[in-house]
Order: sequence, then C-alpha cells, then structure tokens
Amino acid sequence: MTAAGSRSEAPLERTPASKSAPAMIEIDRVSQVFRTSSRKDHLALSDISLAIEDGAFVSILGPSGCGKSTLLYIVGGFVQPTMGTAKMKGKTIAGPGPDRGPVFQEFALFPWKSVLGNVMYGLRQQGVRPAEAEAQSRALLDMVGLKGFEHFYPKELSGGMKQRVALARTLAYHPEVLLMDEPFGALDAHTRTRLQNDLLKIWERDRKTVLFVTHSVDEAVFLSDKVVMMTRSPGRVRQVVDIDLPRPRRRTELLLDPRYQKYVVNIERMFDEPDEDELRC
Amino acid sequence: MLTGKSVAARLAPVLACMGLLALWQIAALALNSDSFPTALEAMRAIPSILGDKEALINILASLRRMAVGFLAAVAFSIPLGLLMGRSASVASFCNPLLMVIYPVPKAALMPIIMLWLGVGDLSKTLVIFLGVSLPVIYHSFEGAKAVEEKMLWSGAAMGLSSVERMIRIVLPASLPEILTGCRTGLVLALITMVTSEMIARQSGAGNILFNALDMGQYDTVFAMIIIIGAMGIALDVAFESMRQRLVSWSEPQFDVPLSFS
Repeated sequence: MTAAGSRSEAPLERTPASKSAPAMIEIDRVSQVFRTSSRKDHLALSDISLAIEDGAFVSILGPSGCGKSTLLYIVGGFVQPTMGTAKMKGKTIAGPGPDRGPVFQEFALFPWKSVLGNVMYGLRQQGVRPAEAEAQSRALLDMVGLKGFEHFYPKELSGGMKQRVALARTLAYHPEVLLMDEPFGALDAHTRTRLQNDLLKIWERDRKTVLFVTHSVDEAVFLSDKVVMMTRSPGRVRQVVDIDLPRPRRRTELLLDPRYQKYVVNIERMFDEPDEDELRC
Repeated sequence: MLTGKSVAARLAPVLACMGLLALWQIAALALNSDSFPTALEAMRAIPSILGDKEALINILASLRRMAVGFLAAVAFSIPLGLLMGRSASVASFCNPLLMVIYPVPKAALMPIIMLWLGVGDLSKTLVIFLGVSLPVIYHSFEGAKAVEEKMLWSGAAMGLSSVERMIRIVLPASLPEILTGCRTGLVLALITMVTSEMIARQSGAGNILFNALDMGQYDTVFAMIIIIGAMGIALDVAFESMRQRLVSWSEPQFDVPLSFS
C-alpha cells in the first residue's frame, strides 16, 4: 500500500459536500443524461455534489469525456441538469446571467466587433454609458496586456490574444463567478504558461470565485485552492484535494517546491489507480 | 503607386469586354446576316433607346419592380432563414416545402400567377420575389446554423434575451453568408424580371426586347441585351463593394496573425 502511504503525506482530504459555511455555488446531486444520435442514453454526470466557497479558485480535473465541461455549463445555466439542482447563493440556477461569466476554450468572441467593441459589449448591455464603458474596457485591456490593440478585429489576433480579449470581455461586466472551460486548452505550451501567470496575477488582485475546468494536473495544482478530481464516464467526484500552497504563487518557485511536486505526483498516481468509487456504486 | 501588374489587373475586365466585342464584330461581318447585327450597329442603337422617353419609362418600371421584389424577398427571407437555422422545428417544417419549391423554375409559375393576379406589376413582382427568396433563405439558414453555440452562450451570460441574441448575435454572425445569398438573389432578380416581362408582355425592358424581335429590329434586340447585361454588371459590382465593406471583419485578408501571446 505504498500509494496509500504517500497519500497521507500530503493533506489530501475528502471534503463533504454539505458544509456549514455559506457556499457561493452549491451543486446538489446533479446527474446529466444525454440522448445520443443512436438514441441511447448516455450518463455524462452521475450524482455530483459539490460546494464552492466565495473567493475560491476551484479546478475540475478529469480525463476528456468525463463531463467536467457539462458540470460547468450547468453552473452557467446553459444546460439544465437532468436530476438535482445547482444553486448560486442559495438560489436555484435557472438560466445564464451576468453574475456568472464564462470563458470558453473556443474564445467565442464576436468577430464583427473590434477588440474594444467585444469588451464593451456586456457593459453596454447593462446600460453603462458609451464613454464610461469605453474607459473601463480600455483599462481592462491594459490589464490583460492588450493596450494598443483596441481597434483590431478578432481574426487579426493570435489564439493567446483572443483568449485575453475573451477574459477581459467577461471580467468587464463584473461577474461574481468566473466559469473557465479549458480556457488555455487550445494554446501552445509557452502561451499557456504566460496566460496562467497573468490569470493568477489578476485573480490574486480581486479574488473572484473561479470554477476552472482542465485536464492538466500541473495547471490545476498551480492555479487552484481546491482540485476536484473526476472519474471517467460517467463523471463522478472522485476526490477533492485541497492545495495548500502559499500565494502569491510564482511558477518558477513552485516548480522547485517539493510540496507542489508532491501534489502533482499524488494526483497523477491516483488517476493511474483503479477507481474505488466504481466498486462502491 | 501602380505597378505594371496592378495596371494589367485593372485593365483585364476592360480588355476582356473589348475582346468579346471585337470577336462579335468579326463574326457578324463574316456571317453577314440580317438577324446578327455587328457590335457597332448594336452599340449605335443604344443611345436612341436610352434617349427615348417611352423606353426609359419601361426600363425604369422594370428596375422598380425588380427593387420591390428583391427588397420584399430579402425582408421576408432573412428572418425566415435565421429562424430555420436556430430552431429545429421551424427547419423541419419549412425544409420539405422549400425542397419542393426549389427546383421549380419560378417563371413557370408565371401563367398561373397571371391567371390569378393579372398581367400587371403585382404578378411580375411576385415572380421576382419567389426567384430571390430561395437563395436568400438557404444562405441565411446555413449562416444561422453555423453560429457557434458558445457565442450565443456568451451573449446569454451578458443578459441578452433570445430575441436580442437573434438580432444582435445570429444576424451579424451570419451576415457574410446572408450577403452571399443576396448577391445570388440580385442576379436572379434581374433574370426573373426579364423573363416575367417576356411572358406578360405589357411593359418593361424584356418587353422592348421582344417587341423589337417581332418587328425584326435586330440591332435594338442586341442593344437591349447589352443594356440589360450592363445593368446586371453594375448592380453586381455595386452590391459586391457594399458587401465587402460590411463584412470586411470576416474576410481572410490577414493571413498571418500577429505573433504575440
């Protein structure tokens, strides 16, 4: 039982879903069934319960096809769960709203709008005056490192720049929760690292609640307070790992930090092991 | 600023036209037939047609019908196509209907329409409307269907209602495809306009053409073909320049994205 022994060295605990502390997001026994083209029902998510506290950076980590994006879409209100409920601040989520801002792997920018137009879009929708919306948007673009690109169109930007615009566009309307769906998945390794660093810097400033879907163990450990490990299809919560690493985190320091290394190795080992929960079901 | 190559590129259409006219001239001279006037004879007939008040009124009436039919078709077809593209139930209801209507030549419906609505403007405008509608519906449908779901979700998260998403996201996102359909529709409007006037010969550019044919005025026949063709080219060029300005954001003119993460 070397795996079990090494697991106890790092603070890996199973956090119960029902906690007394007020949760920002509460996912209660959510299951999701999709009807596939062959008319067979596919169970994407099975009985997920999860509580996310205000201001926490939580990653949902799992192999592809484990339904982790679906879980994010349910919190976003884009998908209605087949069973169970998702709540935000105690209210059942019925649909999308500006309190939850998505950032997608596909960027999903409005190609007919300039960079500035994209970032201003949500503010204008909320009735903010053009001059005020523009000033706020310019400040945000400066923060994500895109000063000088205000009048470019999305097609003129690289993938990394597009994702910076998408992040600024979502931050612009001040959502309380950021929903990030493998946001750096389509980027090359170098660009991904730079964006991770910048995202952490921005997050450490205002500490919004973040739900971050990824399949990269490094990324999850580097960014998060808490990593929710999911099982392969049907997606279930396998383990919730608290990442007890000091902030602000610097990538170059963390890579040498044995605590960071231990988290990464332990999580990877657990994914290699057969799933205990599977037997329990 | 103009290099030799770009001058050649700009002159190419002019040279092609001149070549075609020269070929025509030579062929007509060689054949020496009454029913095949030379290019010069046909061109000489153009000023007298355009100078004739009666003829001008006819041509303007044609253009008016064409404009009304085209605009009505666009106003009807874009919303329908977009709705079909975003709603499976609307699409499954409309698609079979359109599949039946699509291969029917719209001019073939002209006799029935004339029977019901007479030979006046209404019948001709309706045929133009039918001719333009299908490509615009089809392209709007394809454009709306291809709109990224995540783009709509992003809009929904910003608080856009489903109607607002349709107008402010689906419509602009499909605009390149819609305008491609409109461009095809514009050419079809001209074709159905002339065809409808050939069948219901009462007024219009097609009427002048066929009256001249009946009376053996072959230079007028060919002159009218040139005039109608020139109108088509002018409309297409004007539309294309407008289209390019409206959807320049989607044209792949910047092949190399800026390299900066």
